[in-house]
Amino acid sequence: MKKTWILAWNTVRESFRKKTTYIIILFALIMIAASEFFAFLSAQEQTKMIMDTSFAVIEFFGFLLAMFGSITAVSSEIEKRTIYTLLTKPITRTNFILGKYLGMFFILLINFVIMTIFFLLLIHFKKIPINIAIFKTLFLIFMELLVIASISLALATFTSDAFNIIASCFLYIIGHLTSYGRQVIEMTKNIVIKGLADMMYTILPNYQNFSIRDKVVVGIPVPWQYVLIVTGYGIMYIVIALLIGIYFFRTREI
Amino acid sequence: MAIIQTKDLTKIYTIGRNKTVVGLNHLNLTIEEGELFGILGPNGSGKTTCLKLLLGTLFPTSGEAYIMGKTPYDVEMKQHVGFLPENPYYYEYLTGKELLLFYGKLFDIDKEVLKEKIEELLKLVGLENTKKLSLRHYSKGMLERIGLAASLINDPKILILDEPTTGLDPIGCRDTRNLLIQLKDAGKTILLSSHFLSEVERVCTRIAILHKGVLLTTGKLDELMDKYKSVNLEDLFIKTIDEYEEKIQTQGVAQ
Ligand SMILES: Nc1ncnc2c1ncn2[C@@H]1O[C@H](COP(=O)(O)OP(=O)(O)O)[C@@H](O)[C@H]1O
Ligand SMILES: [Mg+2]
Repeated sequence: MKKTWILAWNTVRESFRKKTTYIIILFALIMIAASEFFAFLSAQEQTKMIMDTSFAVIEFFGFLLAMFGSITAVSSEIEKRTIYTLLTKPITRTNFILGKYLGMFFILLINFVIMTIFFLLLIHFKKIPINIAIFKTLFLIFMELLVIASISLALATFTSDAFNIIASCFLYIIGHLTSYGRQVIEMTKNIVIKGLADMMYTILPNYQNFSIRDKVVVGIPVPWQYVLIVTGYGIMYIVIALLIGIYFFRTREI
Repeated sequence: MAIIQTKDLTKIYTIGRNKTVVGLNHLNLTIEEGELFGILGPNGSGKTTCLKLLLGTLFPTSGEAYIMGKTPYDVEMKQHVGFLPENPYYYEYLTGKELLLFYGKLFDIDKEVLKEKIEELLKLVGLENTKKLSLRHYSKGMLERIGLAASLINDPKILILDEPTTGLDPIGCRDTRNLLIQLKDAGKTILLSSHFLSEVERVCTRIAILHKGVLLTTGKLDELMDKYKSVNLEDLFIKTIDEYEEKIQTQGVAQ
């Protein structure tokens, strides 16, 4: 466990010494600030737009960071051949994967906290009341990012970066289009396609579950129970993804 | 008991659909504690493959490998091994000192002991003045030296070095040779590989000559020179390889 922490710390350090992380945060902050442009709308509309845009921006930039961060965490070690030395040290391959994931957890957490503070300052400045529903929304976005990171990390143990990016984006898009997807499936006549699509929707993560901002911005309450269930749902995906990542990494030749 | 041992260790790489390349062919090696053992062979002869199999980054197609009686995947065994890869690459965003700290922590070395050890090693490899420099700015020779320091961080019983002299100038080679003699005298077992016959290979207690994944011969340098009636190491190296090539040629004709 101690070794997992040491590896995690090195991952965090790498992320902050390479400047890409700062660029992503910077862009996110600019985008949140840009929601100011909705100032021409009526006060009520404005609140809704600022909140909605900010949540979307935090989620999207978080997605980019979770995906690219996890991919580089694994493949930079392989490409730069540092892994070859690292694996001759007294660590297991499981330590390596868990260390990388724990590192990603902290990288995401730090960035998420920065974006959140910025967002809260903005709405405070706009005199929008800060309530618990905002934190519920943010928390579930963070859970979603943890799931995305675990999946990209698992994919990085056995696929190329290019395939990983395509697969992660694909999952992100269809994971958010589940309700439309279901409607399309309902309309399909072909049983085989319908069966396959149904199966896909059952196996693949439904990221839309983590997204409660549509409700929150219009003031529809989201019960704690829902937050709890979706958290469990996320943890389940994280555990499965990490087990898959560990399995493939243990069989990989370096 | 042998400290390093391979039994019919074989690695066949699969490239593409049906194409295979023999990396290592039924290698049997036994290295005793305290030896300075050199695996010599031309490029592509299977030296790196052998070391990677011993350290568990590659998996054998067949056969077995043991270090201190343990399999290559044993974490406890790795506590006692130091390794310098071929053309070492390290985290370029770290400084020399940070690199040693990072590896040292993975060996669970006590913080105070580790700090002293790092200063001592940096001095040993002559990098005490560049310890705060990012590895991005290190030259090839400096990387080789920080790599050597990194491989010694845990005061290993067994040191495995893949082509330690390749990136070095004659002075670097001499320093490495002196350091290896010093480490051997301190009781360490050293296994090194080389394709290039420098002074270092001449101080080995025993050598093995590898070619196309096959062990051609192994033994004490002077005994082998007598056996193959060679005047020096280069001569021995070339004679054994030529003899092998001739053998496959004639066998090929006979068939
Ligand atoms: N990952 C790999 N995939 C396919 N072939 C490989 C791989 N690594 C090494 N080989 C082949 O195995 C043989 C031995 O290589 P290697 O062990 O690197 O030799 P050396 O270290 O003695 O130069 C060579 O023919 C090389 O091309
Ligand atoms: Mg080699």
